Order: sequence, then structure tokens, then C-alpha cells
Amino acid sequence: MLGVALYLVFFLIVVTIYAIVVMGLNLQWGFTGLFNAGVVAFYAIGAYGTAVLIGPARDRLIGGFEMPFLVGLAGGMALAALAGLIVALATLKLREEYLAIATFGIAITIQLVALNFEALTGGANGLIGLPRPMFDLFATPGGYNLFYLIFVLAVAVVIYAALERAVRSPWGRVLRAIREDVTAARSLGKNPTTTRLQAFVLGSAIMGLGGGLYVGFIGFVSPIDFLPILTFQIWAMLIVGGSGNNRGAVLGCLVVWGLWTASGYVISNAVPPGLQSQAGAVQAIIIGLVIVLTLLFRPRGLIGEEDVVSAHARDDEVTTPQEEIPAQQGQ
Amino acid sequence: MPRTNFTALAAMAALAAGGVSLPGGAARAQDQDCQHPIGAVLSLSGSMAAIGSAIGDAGELAVEHMNAAGGLLGCEADYRLRDDQGQPSVGVDAAQSLVEVEGAEILLGAIQSGVSMPILSSVTVPNEVTQISCCSSAPSFTELAREGGTDGYWFRTLPTVRPQGFVMADLANERGYERTAVIYVNSDYGLSLARAFEEGIEAQGGSVTDMVPYNQEQASYRAEVSQALRGDPDSLFLVAFPADGATAMREWISLGGPQNLLLSNALRAEEFVSAVGAQYLTDAVGIDNAQVEGPSVEAFNQSWEERYGEPPAGPGLHTMYDAAAVGLLAAQAAGEYDGTAIRDAVREITGPGGEVIHPGPEGFARAHEVLAEGGDISYVGATGPIVFDEFGDVTGPYLIWGVGEDGALTEVETWQVERVNELMAATGG
Repeated sequence: MLGVALYLVFFLIVVTIYAIVVMGLNLQWGFTGLFNAGVVAFYAIGAYGTAVLIGPARDRLIGGFEMPFLVGLAGGMALAALAGLIVALATLKLREEYLAIATFGIAITIQLVALNFEALTGGANGLIGLPRPMFDLFATPGGYNLFYLIFVLAVAVVIYAALERAVRSPWGRVLRAIREDVTAARSLGKNPTTTRLQAFVLGSAIMGLGGGLYVGFIGFVSPIDFLPILTFQIWAMLIVGGSGNNRGAVLGCLVVWGLWTASGYVISNAVPPGLQSQAGAVQAIIIGLVIVLTLLFRPRGLIGEEDVVSAHARDDEVTTPQEEIPAQQGQ
Repeated sequence: MPRTNFTALAAMAALAAGGVSLPGGAARAQDQDCQHPIGAVLSLSGSMAAIGSAIGDAGELAVEHMNAAGGLLGCEADYRLRDDQGQPSVGVDAAQSLVEVEGAEILLGAIQSGVSMPILSSVTVPNEVTQISCCSSAPSFTELAREGGTDGYWFRTLPTVRPQGFVMADLANERGYERTAVIYVNSDYGLSLARAFEEGIEAQGGSVTDMVPYNQEQASYRAEVSQALRGDPDSLFLVAFPADGATAMREWISLGGPQNLLLSNALRAEEFVSAVGAQYLTDAVGIDNAQVEGPSVEAFNQSWEERYGEPPAGPGLHTMYDAAAVGLLAAQAAGEYDGTAIRDAVREITGPGGEVIHPGPEGFARAHEVLAEGGDISYVGATGPIVFDEFGDVTGPYLIWGVGEDGALTEVETWQVERVNELMAATGG
């Protein structure tokens, strides 16, 4: 049973890291309606940024600055934000589907840069031997994983709280106004371009943070960590969980990643020896089937978006902190 | 899937749907109520799916042979194969679950280096589990082992490309090439081979004029070829796969590049020769893994054919069988199912000295006897004799090939393992 508990800790670390990335996407798509099909690009920039900053120095590499992990994490986040800014400035005038294609192209480009810019990224071999923060302080890997889980959970809670606060603020209402009707928002004196830019950059920075946390946990980074399928997985998590709702985003991560991994466990135990090698296809079918069924029966996701727009519309609800209201009225 | 039949598929579907957990195989040599889980993480779907499932079968065959020979440490060895879908995050999760939940102390895999490496750094090394890969060829494992990052838990039965690069450098030197350009496929394989070659050339006091990577499946490699020609080379080392390699080679010849050619193992293909034209390749010389022959290889081929009804053709089958066999025999020799004990026993059951053990149930049964008597065994496997160096790497014999005027592939010479090791020692490889 201890083994199961240790595995669950490990599993939750990965889920929490993905949850952070999905919350970043939720800000972009769920609240602002920006179709970012290149999630993995910003995740990769954060991961490589962190890896280069914290990695050990090597002759062949430009990086290897051996900085403390938190500095690396902040650096990776800043780089992802910068990349988000550049991409946003170039593409945010595009309509949804065009933005999707542009960001998808950027994701492929980033992966190719990681593969080819050998002096910085280690090329196809990746960056090895990256330090795992405070690893030496723990006697067992299980103890360390528990520590890391608490760390990523704390980060996720801060991001969740900040995003919840932000999307319920006037700024958050502008996001949704832009998502629903750009012309109406503009006619009310809001500047859609600036607001979209802010949402895109902030979302990208959060994705980059997820990448940095992944690197700190795995201690290795290579281009095949950032295949386009990861973008699809992140999207599946958001859509299954409920786009436009941060709790849905987090739940979606748990469900989709749980399904993705548990199906492998079930199949390898259910299939008799002799057929193990053929079982891979069954797993893919089960994953696809469950996602399709979820969407058929709950098209808005497991927890859909709440129907309220303003905190004022739900004064009777205790979930809204009372002190928030005067603060908002003052604006 | 030529080995699958409908009954089996139907049975599998029924079991998967019911979520029934079966404790073991139908055909078993003896009834044992304890099991030692042998974990394997391979790409059964995703970009490596075409080869992954047969590799999984090879691992399973070794486990079956061990059970037929009397099991593992008085228990049954239970093969638990998981799919990494070609994705590191999925592979790491599968490995973690095999180690923590199912209690595997041996982990076989993965295929791609980019999956094996995160498993090694985040699962097997911290949890002190022995990891043996059939197929990951990246040199970064050697580098990590040299830094002490693997704690000795990493082994691979696939000869790395590093010695190949050194042998090619020796050939270039022997033939009097002084200015060699390198064009290589931009993958971990191509990069590793090109770098090893450069290192080998430098160790012999020569130099490489240019190292030019190319990305796969482009219509033209004129830019890469022009760049390689810029340093006025007298020869070319081309590390490529047949189709792209032919494109690059034709452009090299049409732009007036010298026909002193060194070719990598994947180019030993009729397809490449006919696409380029045999008349341009008569001075070319290439390298490949030599087909190891002998009773141990025969023993594997034969039992594969008996089990699956066709000869073992395809990459990774022989190396995967050996990966599993080495892990199982090491555990038996260690006397306990524990990752660290297995790690320490791996070199005791391989290498010269001790009674030679071949693949197959009879071989493993003999191993049980010898070990029970306190004797030493020396496993000579499906890939021939296996000697792990201090970083967990093995060296293989190599074949030097050329192209005849009629376009036939010819064998120039064979480098035995001893000669390769001598060269590596002499040049600091």
C-alpha cells in the first residue's frame, strides 16, 4: 500500500504541473477566447529557460549557469512571457482560426529550434544531469516527491487564487466581453488589443512556469518532451474539465491524465502474457472513447462555466468574499 | 500483426472490457504462488509502434524461457509490459507505477533515448532499480554515467555508435584522408556518430573540415552540401538514412565533391546504391554492425521461430532478449530480488570466465544448476558475447563494407570486439 501512496504522490505532481499549464490556457481560451494551438511552445520555452539557467556548466553548451532553482523558474517564466509578447504582437490581429494555425506553426518552430540549436539546448540529446532542487536533503525518493508535491501544490494554489481574483475583477469581465463580442466591447471604450495582449502574455508565462516545474522534477529535458500531442492533451484536459472555469480546468487534468495513465495499468494487468505487445492499441481506443463520451454527455465539460458575469449578480452566494465588492465598486 | 489471431484478440478484448486481472500465463512449467514482476516500458503505439510490439515479444520470450527453466529465485517471473506511447511523460508514469505499485526491481526499456533518460533520472536511479535498455543509443547516457549520475543502475545491450565513429576515423586515417567533411542526419543517432568520428579524427591528429547537420525528408540538400564543400575537403563522411542520403550524395557528386566516401551503417542498402549509381561509389567504404554468428545466436533465432512462426527480423529483438536475460540471470545470481543486488550481479554473469550460458530454456536451466552449486556463469546471448564497460555500454563487432562495380554490396573486413576495444583504448575512446 505504501507503493500505491508513493505512486499517487508522483502522479499528483504531474497532474499539478499540467493543471498550472491548463490554467494558463484557460485564461487565454476559456476567458478571452484566444485559440492558442501552440501551448507546448511556451511550456518548452519555460522548460528550456529554466534548464539552461540551473543546469551544470558544460564545454559544448552556452548555458549551464548553475543558478538557484527559483531564479531559473522565474527566468523560464520571463522568457515564456517574452515569447508570448512577441507572438501576441505578431498574431493577435488574426481571427480565431488564423491565430490557431499561427501558434501551431510557432510550436513546431520552437521544437525544431530545440532540436537544432545544439549549443543552447543540447540538440536531440537534450540537457542531462539537471539538479533537482533540494534533492540531497531527503533520504528517500518518496520523501523528496512528497516535498516536491507540496511545493508545486503551493504554486498551483497561488496561481489559482490569483487567476480567480483576476477573472472576477473588472479586467476579467473585459476578457469575457471580448470573447463574446469584440465590437460591443470596443464600443464601450475597452481596448481589445491591449487586453488580449495582457491575457496572452500572462497565460504564456503560466505555461512557462509549468515547464520549469517539470524540468525541476524530471531533471532532464529533450525535444521529444514537447511533441505536438502534448498541446492536444492540454486542450483535452481543459475541454473535458470545463473551459472558462478554473476548477474545471484542474479537474480535467486529474481526469484526463488519470485516464491516460490508469488505462495503461489496467490493460497491462488485464491482458494475459503473450498478448502484452498488442495491447497498446486498446489503450488508445479507451482513451479516445472516454473523451468522446464525456463530451457527448457533458458538452460544457465536467464543470462548465458559471453563468454569472459579475460578482454583483450573486450577492447571495457566500463564496464571494464580501470585501471584494466595495473594492470593485470603487473602480 | 502477423502473430495475432482473432481468438486471441477476442479474448483480449473480453478481458480488457471486464477489467479482469489474470495472475499469470496459461502455459507454465510449475505452479508457484509468488511472482517477481519484471517491468518493461516500450513504445507500443506512437512513432516507434512499428517496431515496439515485436521488441515487447522478445522480452516476453526471455521471461517465458526463464519460467520454463524453473522460474526466478523460486518464484515466477511476471512480465509487465507498459506502453510509453512515444511520450516521455507517459513512459515516466508507467515506469513509476511499475516500480512503486507493482514492485519491479528490473526495468527494461525504453526504446527512444528521450524516454529512457527521464525514466533513469527520475525513477530508476532514485528508487535503486536496475534499468536495462535494448535500444537507446544516445551518448548522453555514457556522459551521465561518467559524471556518476546513473549510480551504475543503467545498462544497455545495444552497442553504442561511439565505437563506430572511432573505427571510421581509423579507416579515414588508414586511407590517407586528411580533410574530411561530415554531413549527418540531425537526430541523436546522427549527432552522436558524427561527434564520435570527429573525436576519433582529432585523437589521431587530424581534423574535420566541417560538421553539417541536415534535417530529414527535405527535397534538396544543396545548401548543406555546399556548406560541406566550402572547406575544400578531400573526403566525406555521410551519416544518413538511405533516401535522404541518396539525395545528398547525388548533390555532392554533381557539385564536384571528391568520391572518397565514408558511409554510415544505415546506408548499407541496395536502395541507396541504385539511387546514387554504383559507378560513383566504388571508392566508398562503410561500416555496419557485423552479424554475430554462433550457437548462442542460433539458439535465439530458433526459439523465436518456434514461438512466433517466423524468423526474428527487425531492430531490437536480439538486444531486447539479451536485456531481459541479463536482468533475470543477474537477479538469479544475486540470490535476492533487489535492484541494487541485481546491478552488482550484472557483471558477474556476463563477460569471460564461468560456464557459458546460451539463450533458451535449456541454457537458463543450466544457469540455475551452476548458480545453485555456487559456480560462475558467463551469458553469451542473442547478440553474442556481452561485456559491459564501467558506464554500462557494450561494444559489438563491426563489418566494413564497400560497393562493387556491378552495384553489389561487398564485405571488406570484419572488426572483432577485441580489435574495437584495442582501438578505443589506444585513441582514448
